[in-house]
Amino acid sequence: MSKLFYPAAAVLILTVSAFTFVAAQNWQIADGYSIGWSISGSDAGGIFKTFTGSIVFDEQNPGAGKFDVKVDVASVNTGNGLMNKHVKSDEWLDAVKFPFIHFVSRSISKTAGGYQVTGDLEMHGVKKTITIPFTFQKTSQGGKFAGSFTVNRSEYNIGKPGGDTGDQIKLEISVPVTKS
Amino acid sequence: MLKKSLALGIVSGLLAGIAGIIYARVYYTINESDFSEVVSAVKIVAASVFGGVLAAIGYALLNKWLRNSGEIVFNLCFTLISFASLMAPIAVSLPRTIETPELFPGLVIPMHFFPALGWYTLKPIFIKFK
Repeated sequence: MSKLFYPAAAVLILTVSAFTFVAAQNWQIADGYSIGWSISGSDAGGIFKTFTGSIVFDEQNPGAGKFDVKVDVASVNTGNGLMNKHVKSDEWLDAVKFPFIHFVSRSISKTAGGYQVTGDLEMHGVKKTITIPFTFQKTSQGGKFAGSFTVNRSEYNIGKPGGDTGDQIKLEISVPVTKS
Repeated sequence: MLKKSLALGIVSGLLAGIAGIIYARVYYTINESDFSEVVSAVKIVAASVFGGVLAAIGYALLNKWLRNSGEIVFNLCFTLISFASLMAPIAVSLPRTIETPELFPGLVIPMHFFPALGWYTLKPIFIKFK
């Protein structure tokens, strides 16, 4: 029994320490992020100024990563005061009733061009599973996530379907991060 | 006529520009919203002088074509065009780096009337009433 104890303990310590090496890195969202959106077939577009959340990600072990991020709907800026009011109104995103756009990842995997994250996007009170392709580049301060994806606003009951405004909303995201 | 109206247009435009700069400073102090990225002092003066010169050309032409009613038609047109031009600052999309675009019309709309105000105020000095 005593002969087996020390080898077993050594294996256990090695295994545990190996897992600590591959544990995903916590990242803190840095200033200078950009959450932009545009609607196909129209001039409508803008940015969200407030973006918060937690990001856990490791290039070597993307599967252990976790994204839980929120966008403040009231922070929308289209560059036009009337348009801002319209986007925040109950006709569109209804910032009073649904103050956040929330994304929680379920899985992250490596792809040929970078990575992809699959998770639940909750917007305007509707939750749907989507996959977002993204890239991660290490920088001197930490890193930078970048990705773009399209959602169909009708699926989230945003605005009236059809009309002059296109259904596809393209979101372009660029998030610099620092190690936390 | 063109010479006098051009002089009036330029002087009233310059004064409108100065009034615009003062108003922009006051507006910034009250609201703490900086629009200097899109509405600089040079742009305010240039736009006001442009409006004044355009008015001068319009005034000279209307008085040439409509000898009896040129003055009335010009005043009506100048006021209406000043009103119509308000659509521009209401509809414009500013750079998204500007935090408070909803305060932009409040800054620019009064400025759209400054050239007309300057013109109506200074006109008796430059062009004597017939």
